Amino acid sequence: MNILAQLIVSGVVVGMIYGVIAFGYQLTFATSKTLNFGQGEALMLGALVGLTTINFLIGQQIGTFAAYLLMLPVVLAFGLMQGAVVEFLGVRQAIRTKSEAGWIMATIALGIIFKNLAENIWGRDALRFPSPLPEAALSFAGVRIQPMEIAIVLGAVGLMIAVEVFNRRSIYGKAVVATANDRDAAGLMGINTRLVITFSYALSSMAAAFAGVLVAPITLTGATMGAVLGLKAFAVAIIGGLSSGVGVVVGGLILGITENLTGYYISTGYKDVPGLVLLLLVLTFKPSGLFGAATIKKV
Amino acid sequence: MKRNLFAFAILASTALTSAAWAADTIKIGLTGPFTGGSSSMGVSMRDGVKLAVGEINKAGGVLGKQLQLVERDDEAKNEVGVQIAQELINKEQVVATLGFINTGVGQASQRFYQEAEIPVLNNVATGSILTKQWPDAKANYVFRNAANDTIQSSMIAEEAVKRQGFKKPAILADSTNYGQLGQKDLTEALAKMDLKPVATDKFNIGDTDMTAQVLKAKEAGADVILTYAIGPELAQIANAMAKLGWKVPMIGSWTLSMASFIDTSGANGDGAMMPQTFIEAPTTPKRKDFIEAYHKAYGGDRMPSPVSAAQGYDSAYLLAAAITQAKSTDGKKIKDALENLQTKVEGVVTIYDKPYSATDHEAISANIPVFGLVKGGRVVPAHPEDIAGDKAVRVKPKS
Repeated sequence: MNILAQLIVSGVVVGMIYGVIAFGYQLTFATSKTLNFGQGEALMLGALVGLTTINFLIGQQIGTFAAYLLMLPVVLAFGLMQGAVVEFLGVRQAIRTKSEAGWIMATIALGIIFKNLAENIWGRDALRFPSPLPEAALSFAGVRIQPMEIAIVLGAVGLMIAVEVFNRRSIYGKAVVATANDRDAAGLMGINTRLVITFSYALSSMAAAFAGVLVAPITLTGATMGAVLGLKAFAVAIIGGLSSGVGVVVGGLILGITENLTGYYISTGYKDVPGLVLLLLVLTFKPSGLFGAATIKKV
Repeated sequence: MKRNLFAFAILASTALTSAAWAADTIKIGLTGPFTGGSSSMGVSMRDGVKLAVGEINKAGGVLGKQLQLVERDDEAKNEVGVQIAQELINKEQVVATLGFINTGVGQASQRFYQEAEIPVLNNVATGSILTKQWPDAKANYVFRNAANDTIQSSMIAEEAVKRQGFKKPAILADSTNYGQLGQKDLTEALAKMDLKPVATDKFNIGDTDMTAQVLKAKEAGADVILTYAIGPELAQIANAMAKLGWKVPMIGSWTLSMASFIDTSGANGDGAMMPQTFIEAPTTPKRKDFIEAYHKAYGGDRMPSPVSAAQGYDSAYLLAAAITQAKSTDGKKIKDALENLQTKVEGVVTIYDKPYSATDHEAISANIPVFGLVKGGRVVPAHPEDIAGDKAVRVKPKS
C-alpha cells in the first residue's frame, strides 16, 4: 500500500511539472491557435538565468531561501520577455500571412538557437542548483517526500490559479479570453488582438521559466534539460486538451503517475510507453483531448 | 593580377614556414570532449598529456625533435570525432593520436587511423570492443591504457559478492550503449558466481525522477546497488535513495568517480565505490611529483578526474618510448615498437614492462585497478591495505 502511495506521490510531482509546461502551450493555443515548440528551451533558459541570479544573490551573503524568493521575480520577468521575443520573431509573421506551418519551423528554430546560446554562455555541463529548502525528506504515514517536491506542487498550482484568476477577473484578462473565443470579433470590439497574442506568449514562457526554477533544485540545470520535459508536456497538452486549463493539469497527473506505475509494476524499460499509447488513443477517439471542446474549423 | 601575385606570395611563404616548422617537430593528435557532460574526463586527460609532453620536450624531446600536440574537441559526438580523425590524419598529418573518452566516438573514429596505419593510444574510453574492432585485420593500430569494461564489471561483481559478502545485488544502468553493455557484462559476471540480480532496471539520460527504479530495488530486498551509468544520473540514484530513507552501498563502474556525481550527490554519494587505476594520493614518489606538478600547472587541489589525468600522462610517455625505439615517425614502425617495447616505462598508474604484444593491446590488466571510495567530496582508497607498501605499484603479469 505504501509503495503505491509513494509511486503516486512521486508521479504527482513529476506530473505537475509537465502540467505547468503544458499550461504554457495551452495559453498561446487559446489566443492564436499556435504553439511554441521551443517551450522546453524557455524552461531551460529560465532555470539557467535563475541559477546565475541565485548564485549572485548567495554571493551577496543572502540566505539561500531569501535568494530563491528574490530570484523568482527576475526569472518571471525574463520569461515574459523571452516569450515576447519568440512571438515577435517567430509567430507574428506566420499569423499575419496565415501560414499553416511557418510558426512551427520558426519556433523550433528559435528553440535550437536558444539552446546553442545557452551552451555558449553556461557551457554544456549539468550544473547543481542550490536548494532553498532542506533536502531531508519528510515522512507522512510511510510516504516520503522532499520539501522541494511539495513546493513544486504548490508553486505549479499557484501559478496556474494566478493566471486563471487574472484572465477571468481583470479587464486585460478579459481581452485575452475574448480573443481566445473569437479573434475576429474581439478585434472588431477594439481589442488589440496582436498585443494579446504577444502577451499570451509572454505568459506562456513565464510559466515555463517558472517550471524551470521549480524543478531545478531536485534535478540538474543545463542546456539540454528542457528537451525531454518539453516533449512530455506536449504529450500532456494533447492528452488533456489544448483548450482546457484543467485538462493540462489532469493530463500531467495522468502521465506522471502512469510513468511511475509502469516503471514499478511492469518494467522501467517501458516507462514511457503507456503515456504515448494513451496519446495515440486520445488522438484517435477524442482528438480535442480528454477535456477539450470539439471545435469546427471553418475553411 | 597584382593582388593575386601578392596572395600567392603570402600563401607560398606560409606554406614554406609551416613545412619548415613541421620538420622540427613531431605532431601528435590529442582528442577528447573538452566541453559537455564528459568534459571533466576530457579536460583532465588533456592536461595529463600536456604535462607529460611538456616534461618530455624539456628533456630534449624525442629523436631530437620537440613533440607538438594538435588538440581537437570532439564534444563527445561521434560525427565530430570522425571529422577530427580525418582532419588530423590528412591535414595535420599527425604521427599518432592520443585520446578518446567516449566509446562511441572511439568506435566511429578509430577506423580512419586503422586505414591510414597511424597508431591510436586510447587512454580513457572503456568499451571492451575498442581494441578488437577488426579481428580479421593483419595489424591493429589501436592500443589502450585504460581498464576496459570486461575488467571493471568482473571487479565490481567480485568486490560486491566475494569481498563484501552481499547476496542480493540490484543492477541500475542507463539506457545508452555504455549502460546496457555494462549491465550485460555485470549480469554475466554475477552468473559466474551463481547469482542473479534481484532487480535489473534502466533509466534514460536526463530522467528527473528515479523513485520507481530505486523503489523496485528496495522492495526486491537488494542489499547492494551495482551501477553502470554516468555522473548526473548516478547522483539522481543516490538522491532518490536518500529521499526514500533507504541506504545500501553503491558499487559501480569508474564513472562513480566523476565530479558531476560527487558534487551533485553531496553527502548522499558518500561511500560509493568504483574501480580506479589511479587515486589522487602520493603513494609513490612518482605519483607525488605528478600530483604536485598537475596542481602547479592547472591550480586547484582536486583533479576533476584523476584517473583520466594519470592515464593521459602515461599514454604520452608510452608513445614517446615507442617513437624513440622505432627511430622513426612511420606509423607502422611505431606500432611494431609498441607491440615489442624494450624499455620499461615508469608511469603514474603502473610500470609498463612490455605492456603490449601483437595480440594483446591492453596495457591495464585486471590486477592493476583498485577500489576507490567517495568520502567527503574526494575519492580515497577503499581498502588502503591493497596499495600499502610494495603493493603500491601493481604491474601487469608477464604473459
